[in-house]
Amino acid sequence: MLLARRNLFRDRTRFLLSVLGVAVSIGLILLLAGYRSGVYRQASAYLDNTPGTVVVAERGIRDFLGTSSVLPPNAVGSVAAAPGVARAIPVVSQFVIFERHGRKDGFFLIGYDTAAGGGPWKLASGREPTADDELVIDRTTAQQHEIAIGDQIRLLDREVTVVGLSDETTFWAGSIAFARISTLESLLRAPSLRSFLIVSPTAGTSPDALSATLSIPGAEVLLKTDVIANDRKLLARVYDAPIGLMVAIAFVVGVLVVGLVIYSATIERRREYGAIKAIGARNRTLYRVVATQAFIAALAGAVVGIGLAYGAGAGLMAWRPQFQVEIEPVAVGVVLAASFLMAFLAALVPARAVARLEPAEVFRG
Amino acid sequence: MSASGLLARRNLTRNRVRFMVSVGGVALALSLTLALDAIYAGVANQLTTYIDRAGADVWVAQAGVKNLHMVASWLPDSTTDEVRAVEGVADAMPILYATDTIMAGEERAVVYVIGLPKDARMGGPWNVVEGSGQVGRGEIVVDRGFARKAGVSIGDTVTVLGGEARIAGLSAGTASLINSVAFVSFDDFRAMRSGVPVVSYVLVVVAQGASPEAVAAAIERRVPDATVQTAADFSSQERRLVTDMSADVIAIMSAIGFIVGLAVVALTVYIATLARRRGFGVLKALGARDRVLYGVVFAQAALSVAIGFAIGLVFTWLLGFLVARTDLDLELAITAASLVKVGLFALAIAGLAAILPIRQVAGLDPAIVFRRGVAT
Repeated sequence: MLLARRNLFRDRTRFLLSVLGVAVSIGLILLLAGYRSGVYRQASAYLDNTPGTVVVAERGIRDFLGTSSVLPPNAVGSVAAAPGVARAIPVVSQFVIFERHGRKDGFFLIGYDTAAGGGPWKLASGREPTADDELVIDRTTAQQHEIAIGDQIRLLDREVTVVGLSDETTFWAGSIAFARISTLESLLRAPSLRSFLIVSPTAGTSPDALSATLSIPGAEVLLKTDVIANDRKLLARVYDAPIGLMVAIAFVVGVLVVGLVIYSATIERRREYGAIKAIGARNRTLYRVVATQAFIAALAGAVVGIGLAYGAGAGLMAWRPQFQVEIEPVAVGVVLAASFLMAFLAALVPARAVARLEPAEVFRG
Repeated sequence: MSASGLLARRNLTRNRVRFMVSVGGVALALSLTLALDAIYAGVANQLTTYIDRAGADVWVAQAGVKNLHMVASWLPDSTTDEVRAVEGVADAMPILYATDTIMAGEERAVVYVIGLPKDARMGGPWNVVEGSGQVGRGEIVVDRGFARKAGVSIGDTVTVLGGEARIAGLSAGTASLINSVAFVSFDDFRAMRSGVPVVSYVLVVVAQGASPEAVAAAIERRVPDATVQTAADFSSQERRLVTDMSADVIAIMSAIGFIVGLAVVALTVYIATLARRRGFGVLKALGARDRVLYGVVFAQAALSVAIGFAIGLVFTWLLGFLVARTDLDLELAITAASLVKVGLFALAIAGLAAILPIRQVAGLDPAIVFRRGVAT
């Protein structure tokens, strides 16, 4: 242990660089995992914050974000009249592209009935829309595009006035904006269009029981939790491959960095190792020295990396508030385990170098 | 090769493991940025496939709609006739469009559903590999990849737009990472969307000799509440959707790739210099100027980075080659802009990574050569 520590700390710059290398790779893995969790959390923000546990959608549609659902005309009446239904919130949803200052941004436009609910759950300022040319937009989006309450913005073929700013409504591909249902009906040239119903069961009726008994021709009745899970699967298709690739690269870089440092430290001290061998030390003892060095470097790197990820996450959210980074305790545990795996893999090559060492090395100039 | 270059190469390659780690680390770090750029460029390519292959010179959409992906565009039914009446228009044909979920058995996927009029002259599937490309009532043409994943073929039924349709044809080249394209009959689409007399886009072919730009401008003057773009403009707007909306993510990931690359090169060049400090001491004792030694250190960093860049490029290309052979529907497109950006990154990494070792060499005492116990 003493020998390992001495070898490692002999050159402080090298040790610090190795800690930095591991810290960057661990920090990167953690940041990416936190970013992914944040994307998922944001993706379910609307459903999480809208009352109801059962979702009624167009037949064949099982997610909320990816598609334009169109309910059959009789669905609203049938659901409202069904036993076990306490409340049904009708919404119309449509993704629209909005352009300002030469940059495209996405609005996930929600049309809702102010009396039934389903609007912004955290209004930072202003009020809810009361007329067809009024809109509530996300506060961060408003800041980025320099939009204030009372400003007019172009939404498809008409001008609308921003009357309120909402919080917690940034979204992986833009932000959520709210208007009255009639605004969307007219924008989409679809009178009486309803995309989804978000349903609350009566007291004593479980969501499972309600979704099992509610049957609407031409519509799907789903648990809200299942819809959220399906939205996540949709995001995973787009996000998981690039994020997975980057996590893998970060991991390999971490292994290389620790490996290189331990390898260099070992090669540089091979005379000492030879001397220890010459006086009868077994390979096992030397392996332990090499492994201890790797573990110290990896552990120090992991601790700094975790701090780095929290700092970078906070910095990122301050720079671009639409990004949410949620570093979960499980992810911290996983990267700690990953750093030990890095240490183990990194110690393999130097350990082989030590094992091959001839005790006679000590007598060479 | 100059003396500095030769020395740098010798210093670097003397220890193969260290050299491989250095070059491998840079290659991986630069691949991080290259691969990410390539993924987004590939997604942008895939996103414009339908527009590029639809065969229209000009696209007419609802006012304010400049894109296709995920959006909605609804124009009154009368728009098609108004467009046909504009001078320079040889042919105009409406399509209906919605983003929906297609379902067959347990397989579900996001799909652009295109409603095609009977005997559609444009906007239909461009590479039908099985069955027919013309869709009648109750029929659908789906992407071959979706059919394979869902285990369905010609004659089988899928659920789309809240109803059912029988597969009449399978098309190729109609799938992307995010969605595939399916074609149904115009009348079915309209019936499934409550029969409202609207169209989504009007596709226009201009008369021989007419310029698409001039015809687009003429249509926009004549048709109220419409946004009219040439196919090239429409395609570039669609690309901007990816570049604008992913600009921040790409910037963050590129910054991370840069830092990782910098850490690895700085570390390896530092260690390589450290290991050879007796050599540098000898050079100093023999009267070599600091500038020459700095040149050696910088050349070491530049050499690692240059080789790492080349390997990173090959790695990314190989990744794209392999991914194209999987079921992922992911395309990696390495663009010239990305190469220039990553090349500049690499140069900056080499310069910055050399700073620490240069300071180390600058502070070196030539007498080190006479001391024992210093690693060689």
